[in-house]
Amino acid sequence: MTISDETLMAYADGELDAAARAAVESAMREDPQIEMRVTAHRTLRRKVQAAYAAELSEAVPERLLRAAGIAAGTPGSKVVNLQDARVAMQRSASRARPRQPQWRTAWTIAASLVAGVGLGFFMWGQTQSPLARNAAGALVARGQLAKALSNQLAAEQSRSSAVQIGLSFRAKSGDYCRTFALSGAVSPSGLACRQGAEWQVQALTQEPGAAGDSGYRTAASAMPAEILKSVEGRIAGEPLDQAGELAARQRGWMPANR
Amino acid sequence: MNTSETSQSIHEQIVTLLPRLRRFARNLTRNPHDADDVVQIAVERALTRLDQWRSDARLDSWMFKIVRNAWIDELRSRRRRDQVFLAAEAGENVGADSMASETELMSVQSAMARLPEDQREAVSLVLVEGLPYREAAEVLDVPIGTLTSRLARGREALQALLGTGGEAT
Repeated sequence: MTISDETLMAYADGELDAAARAAVESAMREDPQIEMRVTAHRTLRRKVQAAYAAELSEAVPERLLRAAGIAAGTPGSKVVNLQDARVAMQRSASRARPRQPQWRTAWTIAASLVAGVGLGFFMWGQTQSPLARNAAGALVARGQLAKALSNQLAAEQSRSSAVQIGLSFRAKSGDYCRTFALSGAVSPSGLACRQGAEWQVQALTQEPGAAGDSGYRTAASAMPAEILKSVEGRIAGEPLDQAGELAARQRGWMPANR
Repeated sequence: MNTSETSQSIHEQIVTLLPRLRRFARNLTRNPHDADDVVQIAVERALTRLDQWRSDARLDSWMFKIVRNAWIDELRSRRRRDQVFLAAEAGENVGADSMASETELMSVQSAMARLPEDQREAVSLVLVEGLPYREAAEVLDVPIGTLTSRLARGREALQALLGTGGEAT
């Protein structure tokens, strides 16, 4: 019986069904030549595998980890953990800037497009700007953004909503503040604090997510460094947990006079 | 909530796949910088096309295919940019000599670098990445018979280049 080399190869690769396997095995018993050929296939397979095994334990470059994390589409959908964001930022601060791809990618184009916050907002908000100046000239949230700041709970929001709430906390002044991110082609994020009936925007950035270059863009590290800095400057104690957020909403975000 | 969890875990799965994607890309491109560029582009593409991934399909095969397509696109645009590059590339074993060394492991890599592209792809997917024939054929967009014949020829060439009768490790 003659058995083609491709069949022997498929046998060595474990690709044959039971009947074909049995045929090869009986041929191997009869003909040492066939057995040698199978052994050669197996040896080669092992050798090739071994030769490339070491590559799997190489460190993966930051930019690839970031690509896998940052393109997550929508900003973080969970309650942001401030501690994680701090850690992520410290880590990224001590790291070298990752190499940019040489090729144009959608991502780099988007990044250059949103170089300026003003430009970003102009584009985002032509029809329904999420921001406006109030009588005193302060930048305040309006429309969908204002609604989300007043009503949306970080733990319950859908990933697909246009506004994603990050963390909520009480400022040293007693006011409630919340970080937010807007989705879309240009997706600025910022920090707004409740002043009377308005959400005044305290910080705004176009920085694309992530406290710096932390590999994974988990919800925890999704806060841009600039926003994190303004949070750190204002926060009294720890961010609100889910219950705290709910309670503050029920209070209409009015400062608790302690 | 549930959907976000699922897509989160796909991100994690992709991160887990990164070492293999890089390895495959290196075998394709034979240049570590190109390989990482190709992987980065593939990951970005994959994430914008997650809806095209059938959850009954293997994520690794799907990603390998995107990596390969990204490389094909890149080669095409390079060809448009300058023909010179491809002329140089046609000289095959670029860097193979510098890779060659007395160690067994190196010689496998340099032997691989000498294979024609279609054989190298087949060997790389089946022997290095361990994909079943069916999956590998799908990644390469060829009938399974084409895959097995490329694989058989690639193996034969490797055996010849490595001068392996059987033993040695």
